[in-house]
Amino acid sequence: MGYILNQLLNGICQGSIYALMAIGYSVIVGVVGMVTFAYGEVMMIGAFSAYYIFIYVGNNLPLAILAAFAGSFIIGIVIYKLCYERFFTAPRHISLLCTIGISMLLKNLAQIVFGPETKPVLNVVSNTTFKLNIFGAVLNIRLLQIVIIVLVIILAVALTLFFNKTKYGVMLRAVSQNKDASYLMGINVKRTALLGNCIGCGFGGIAGILLGIYYFSVSATMGSAYSMKAFAASVLGGLVDIRFSALGGLCIGIIENLGIVVTAATFRDIFAFAFLILVLIFRPQGFVSKKGARV
Amino acid sequence: MQKIKEFYNKFKVIILLVLFVIMAVIPFLGIKTLYIRYLCNIMMYATLAGSLNAINGYSGQMCLGQAGFFAIGAYTGAALSKNFGISFWPLLLVGGLLAMLIGFLVSLPTLRLSGIYLSITTLGASEIIRIIAQTWTPVTGGTMGIKQIPYPEFFGLDMFRPQYYYYIFLFLLVLFLFVTNRVLKSRVGRAWMSIREDQIAAKSLGVETSFYKCTNFMYGAFWAGVIGVAYAPFVNFIDSTQFTTDVGFNILAMVVLGGQGTLVGPILGAAVVTILTESLRFLESWRYVIYALLLIAMMWGRPQGLVGASKSMLAGGKIKMKEDKAKVKAEGGSAK
Amino acid sequence: MKKRVLALMMSLTLAVGLLAGCGSGSDDGTTAAPDTTASAETDGGSEDATEPAAEGEFKGTIKLGGLAPMTGTYAEYGKGFEIAFNKAIEEINAAGGANGYKLEIEIVDTQGDTVTSSTLCTDFAEDEEVMAILGDFTSGACKADAEIVDRYGVTLLSPTASADDYASMSPYCFGIMGRQDVEAPFLAKYILGKYLPEEMGVDVQKVGVIRVDSDWGLSCYNNFMKQAENEAYEVVVETYATGEKDFSTLITKMQSEDPDVLVVMDQGDAVFQIFNQADAVGWEIPHVALGPGTSEQVAAQLTDNNNLIVTSPFFFDPSDPDLAAWAEWFEGEAGFAPTIHPACAYDCVYLIAEAIEAIGDGEVTRDAIRDALAELPAYEGLSGTIEFTEDGDIRRNYMICGVKDGQWTVLEGFEYGAEGV
Repeated sequence: MGYILNQLLNGICQGSIYALMAIGYSVIVGVVGMVTFAYGEVMMIGAFSAYYIFIYVGNNLPLAILAAFAGSFIIGIVIYKLCYERFFTAPRHISLLCTIGISMLLKNLAQIVFGPETKPVLNVVSNTTFKLNIFGAVLNIRLLQIVIIVLVIILAVALTLFFNKTKYGVMLRAVSQNKDASYLMGINVKRTALLGNCIGCGFGGIAGILLGIYYFSVSATMGSAYSMKAFAASVLGGLVDIRFSALGGLCIGIIENLGIVVTAATFRDIFAFAFLILVLIFRPQGFVSKKGARV
Repeated sequence: MQKIKEFYNKFKVIILLVLFVIMAVIPFLGIKTLYIRYLCNIMMYATLAGSLNAINGYSGQMCLGQAGFFAIGAYTGAALSKNFGISFWPLLLVGGLLAMLIGFLVSLPTLRLSGIYLSITTLGASEIIRIIAQTWTPVTGGTMGIKQIPYPEFFGLDMFRPQYYYYIFLFLLVLFLFVTNRVLKSRVGRAWMSIREDQIAAKSLGVETSFYKCTNFMYGAFWAGVIGVAYAPFVNFIDSTQFTTDVGFNILAMVVLGGQGTLVGPILGAAVVTILTESLRFLESWRYVIYALLLIAMMWGRPQGLVGASKSMLAGGKIKMKEDKAKVKAEGGSAK
Repeated sequence: MKKRVLALMMSLTLAVGLLAGCGSGSDDGTTAAPDTTASAETDGGSEDATEPAAEGEFKGTIKLGGLAPMTGTYAEYGKGFEIAFNKAIEEINAAGGANGYKLEIEIVDTQGDTVTSSTLCTDFAEDEEVMAILGDFTSGACKADAEIVDRYGVTLLSPTASADDYASMSPYCFGIMGRQDVEAPFLAKYILGKYLPEEMGVDVQKVGVIRVDSDWGLSCYNNFMKQAENEAYEVVVETYATGEKDFSTLITKMQSEDPDVLVVMDQGDAVFQIFNQADAVGWEIPHVALGPGTSEQVAAQLTDNNNLIVTSPFFFDPSDPDLAAWAEWFEGEAGFAPTIHPACAYDCVYLIAEAIEAIGDGEVTRDAIRDALAELPAYEGLSGTIEFTEDGDIRRNYMICGVKDGQWTVLEGFEYGAEGV
């Protein structure tokens, strides 16, 4: 019993990082209206921005998160200028291929600039473990897991508030629903889309450093494995809905971990995609109950 | 340009024949074996990109999972020839048919989907195929892959040298182009293109879109499977890392670079991508940085691909009815 | 229309230009390397030529191919290969070359990827000027390359492939890392059966093994199990695919089995990632690893830098001046301390040079190098004594090393396992 609970906790923790990735991804797809395959590399850039804060400033988590957000935000501008701005009216596969190109560019450039080896991210959060007794079952909760889960919740709530309570948030939502109408309403669509893309990338960057802290290492090639996960989680949530995307990420994390419990770690990725395809067969629009949001 | 076209149409058979003869004698010219192998790669990718183009370019469905169908062919060929000693030639068909069957299964859920959901499903299917290959150790060798795959034999001739293998790929490419050309000019091909241009209109005109979308997927998957069977002995060793989504993206890049919806486009795309990645090798770690930059630059400069028709839906602009009618008339005329 | 033609023309010129650039590049290589097989006529005054010779006094040039994973998971080792290969070549050429021949090596990056390795290996095999191939790092890549070198008849000398079924695949395959059917049983018998109970008071009954799912990992595990059955251990095993990052599930799973010792079989980054994630859940258990050797990268990245024991056939003993000087030089070049892997790479070049010396006045061909290499008497290399078995690999002796305060130290020397497995 305690064992299953522990595995569930592992799943929830990993799932919450996936959720953060999926949120960022959904913001990008929702506001810009195009998918990206460079998201994994955006996360990697975020992770490295934070890594250099750890190296040069010290183990300052809030500053590192800020750096991760900023680093990915800036990369977001580059991606927007190169992949989206020109191709709003072009067929989708063109911007798609551009993001594939950017992904290749960043991955290989990072190997040159940061070096190909895995870098350690040690002792950012102390290795304290709390033992929790739930009806006789012992649950080992790590401080790190608490930090990650709480952080993800805070960020998700902050983003929701930003979307609902601020002027920029309303503009972003308007653009995500209908670009032409927003344009007629006097919204600068291109600039708003740029902002949306950058915020999405920034969230990806934070997810990147959380992965780095959770696994104690960052590397130039870390992104590719997670790019697909973020995409899958976001599709589960209907691609544009933040809350459902977060739920999708959480689901994938839990299913993956429980799947490994029954089989072996080599099967990891099969659960995520099999679950995704099953959901898509029965509910092509993902978890979202109402249609209407534009993809 | 018009003159070239006229000239081409007039001497079509002769030009194609001359081209074929040139291609056929290349291995005898004493070119370095290395370059012959590059040519083999180009022809292999040309066929593979062509098979994806048959889906993306002609029916307008955005398939991202061609690497999966390719993997099925490769693993079928490798496992059967290694474990049961089945000859290479019938396996070409077996691998193709199996990939076609999987293509059919993948197409079933995608019939209800469109746009990006269709893409992600094909991508997911491709990943699942890859992970099955990675984990089903008794059949696929798991992460160890399948090694020492027997080379094809042709009347007792062991075809392991690229000079011989060249003809297998040449044969497959020519066969693919010939068959696809026939199919595209048939009722099926026209149905595919009608779905690409306007699915609702096609449906209202009595085209059974579901059926044709399905056959379209199966057709593309079949050729990817066939070329997969041919690929496995060529590299002699296969494992699941050769069929990642990156490989699928690479094939997509070839199709888009060359020009979707044209027969020549994927060949040109495959040639450009292969030559670029091979000749940039001297840049060492900068190789893919430069390649990626060139890829983005090409998308900026020529989004419809090197030979892509600028009037089609795929090129970005809306179809101008007047011009299109004229084009259809001209094409119909020449076909008759 | 004009635009389209223009674009076509441009792309064609680009393609042709690139091809031409590529072609001329390899032409340069041809002209720089004179005919290597025509050696008979210059034999007359070659006694003098073995003295330190200036450029131009060589009998000819012998080109070697080098396969190394310079990027990817095994980048640390690939970089070590590159440095060691070049160093050995430089030294040999400065000392007059191998039997008067100048050695040249072209090192290519296999990215730690088996397919890239076999493609590049084929490139070398098809290049008639390449007389022997050195590399690759992983057993899987070497096994994939075995068929190729067998077909083309060129020697593949791997510094590090240790799967016990690699060298027997072809007469052209050689490896000097030592066979896994010696190292893995050594670990089971001496670390688990002797060192842990006697020195650390851990009575090993149940062993938890986490291993990478690869040719190498499987070979390790099978050989480990042979000995473990003799010792009557209960073994629980979990596998993962190369490139895995999240081990928390595996560790929780393993923890619930409650083994007495945790053994990780991997050569790459996963070693420290697994141990760190085990530390993070507060699991106190002796850590044993098979594969990384005394890797500085691993030692530097452990959160608990006092808890890791490995087997190693070799250790850079600071009291041996030659070894210490080499290690110091290597660290200056690479930025990290050497393991056995670059030392083996260094020895590989010398072995080829020895083989060329052994050919003597005969023609230096691919087959001659292979035959000479197989017949080579015991060679005292940097990494120890190298004497090829019938198969073309070697058996090594092992010692036990451990991490103390982030530094590798020898816990027990070679005499510890002297009675053999």
